[in-house]
Amino acid sequence: MIIYLLVAIVFFVGLYGIVAKKNIIKIIVGINIVGYAVNLLFILLGYKWNGIAPVMTRKIELSEFYKYSVDPLPQALVLTSIVIDLAFLAFLAALAIRLYEKYGTFDIDKIRRLKG
Amino acid sequence: MNLIIMPVIIYLGSAFVIPLLFRKDEKWAGFTASIFTFLALLVSLLLGMHILSEGRLIAFAGGWKEPLGIALMVDPLSAVFLIVTNLVAFLIVVYAITYMKKYTGTVHFYVLFMLMLAGMNGVLISMDIWNLFVFFEIASLASYILVAFGLRAEEMEAALKYTVMGFLASTFILFAMALVYGLTGTLNIPDFMNAVAGLPHTHMWFIVGLFISGFGLKMALVPFHTWLPDAHSMAPAPVSALLSGLFIKVIGFYCIIRLAANVFGEIYQIKTVLIILGVVTMVLGGIMAYGQKNIKRLFAYSSISQIGYCAIALGIGGYLGYLGALMHFIGHAFSKSLLFLNIGAIEYVKGTTESEDLKGINDQMPYTTLLSNTGMLGIAGIPPMGNFWSKLIIILAAVRAGYTGVAVLCILVAVLTLGYFLKLMRTVYYSKPEMKAEKKEAPLAMLVPMIALGFMVFFAGILLLPAIRTVTLDRAVNVMENFSYKTLHIPAQHDNAQLND
Repeated sequence: MIIYLLVAIVFFVGLYGIVAKKNIIKIIVGINIVGYAVNLLFILLGYKWNGIAPVMTRKIELSEFYKYSVDPLPQALVLTSIVIDLAFLAFLAALAIRLYEKYGTFDIDKIRRLKG
Repeated sequence: MNLIIMPVIIYLGSAFVIPLLFRKDEKWAGFTASIFTFLALLVSLLLGMHILSEGRLIAFAGGWKEPLGIALMVDPLSAVFLIVTNLVAFLIVVYAITYMKKYTGTVHFYVLFMLMLAGMNGVLISMDIWNLFVFFEIASLASYILVAFGLRAEEMEAALKYTVMGFLASTFILFAMALVYGLTGTLNIPDFMNAVAGLPHTHMWFIVGLFISGFGLKMALVPFHTWLPDAHSMAPAPVSALLSGLFIKVIGFYCIIRLAANVFGEIYQIKTVLIILGVVTMVLGGIMAYGQKNIKRLFAYSSISQIGYCAIALGIGGYLGYLGALMHFIGHAFSKSLLFLNIGAIEYVKGTTESEDLKGINDQMPYTTLLSNTGMLGIAGIPPMGNFWSKLIIILAAVRAGYTGVAVLCILVAVLTLGYFLKLMRTVYYSKPEMKAEKKEAPLAMLVPMIALGFMVFFAGILLLPAIRTVTLDRAVNVMENFSYKTLHIPAQHDNAQLND
């Protein structure tokens, strides 16, 4: 249980970064932390304590294998999710650089020409 | 080759082929893109024909049977969305060939546009939550980049806002999916539906809340709407038309139907939440639209207001409610795309979208103004147009279900919608220009798709004639009403339906 709480704390730290910080780079870091927290939760949901890797390396009863191996599906899904996060990060970093060129600042309070 | 996956393959393939072919010379990139889009339109029409005779088509990626295989399904509901999406997308791409000439790097534009369409089509055909999420992200990422395509300062500011909020939406959805998988051990939507019945309600409400806030953000329901006016008014006109006309509905509305309304429809509160959010969205969007100076921004707020109607109709439910929601989606997809293409044509000729600088545009661009009128009256709900019937159905459904207050608000906002469009017509389109400018109409290649859309806006009501309705919309409504696929097992004649890729 305590480990899920830790994941929740990581999630809220990232959320705090996104909501409260004014610097675009810090917001991007917050976005990454949130992404990691959700990925971690996903991995944890398929994990078994003292489990084995879900690969049939030696002769083992199937029921035994099910009982001790961790669930491989969340790991496969999280790999996809990490790639998506990477695409986000690349795009946001490029956007931040371009914004800095145009506005001369990373402060989102000063990047405010649209209103209404 | 299985037909179901073809729209996605066509779009992904074109996104791969276009940069290879047109790296040096960009001249024919748009033409090629429009051919690919037309192919996808044909395929989706063919799928629609199949569904008329067979009910629904199912395939499993790689040929693995469920629950291991990834299910792909086209049923009447997704067929309606597929055909409307590809039809409007085709017209938008034809329009974009001329419009995008003023930009550089058009090859990148078409690649991203095709990726976005691939993601949207993928969302419509997938019956697996994870598959849906991946396609959702493909479409979203492409749309974030397309909003910033012009690389002006304001566009990138809008894109930053949109990306950060969009990322939060996808995080919430991923969170909900992780919980879904942890609780039920399945990602297949029908399997998940069966498993959900036994879960305690507290878990479900948390998951439903995450799904509604995630997809509601994409759909721009009111507490989550702040990105929409910026993003939709700053993007290039074809992108605005696609985002406002289709994207918010396919990515937000359709996913809410599939995941929230169908799976969790048994819980009464979700419908109340949708109605409340819908009413607030509808009223606030309408009021905000009234005071806008920039025409594109006004249209964006009008989109928020109209998506509120869809949410209300979905929340009311029942035959009339769902029919109204679908019809409103179709009518609004046509008319809002038409309006954004129109304002794009005006921007192409005059170079601005501020209402101050566009006074008396009727004298210079009479055809475009006429088409704008069609679109505006279409959205406002003037009788022969599609959205009049959809609003009527939604109001009737609200009265039948006992939500009289909601019905009254729907009527008031319809009047408000007519009000801000008439104000726009009188003070901008038909007012006296400050100085005489010579007549200069948009190029013919841009006018033709707009005229086609204009006809569709005008005749969208035909879909409600009993003879046509029973074979098209009624079947889709039937899917929404009793989505009770206990399993996706394959009927006998489809046993060899596999993907050979």
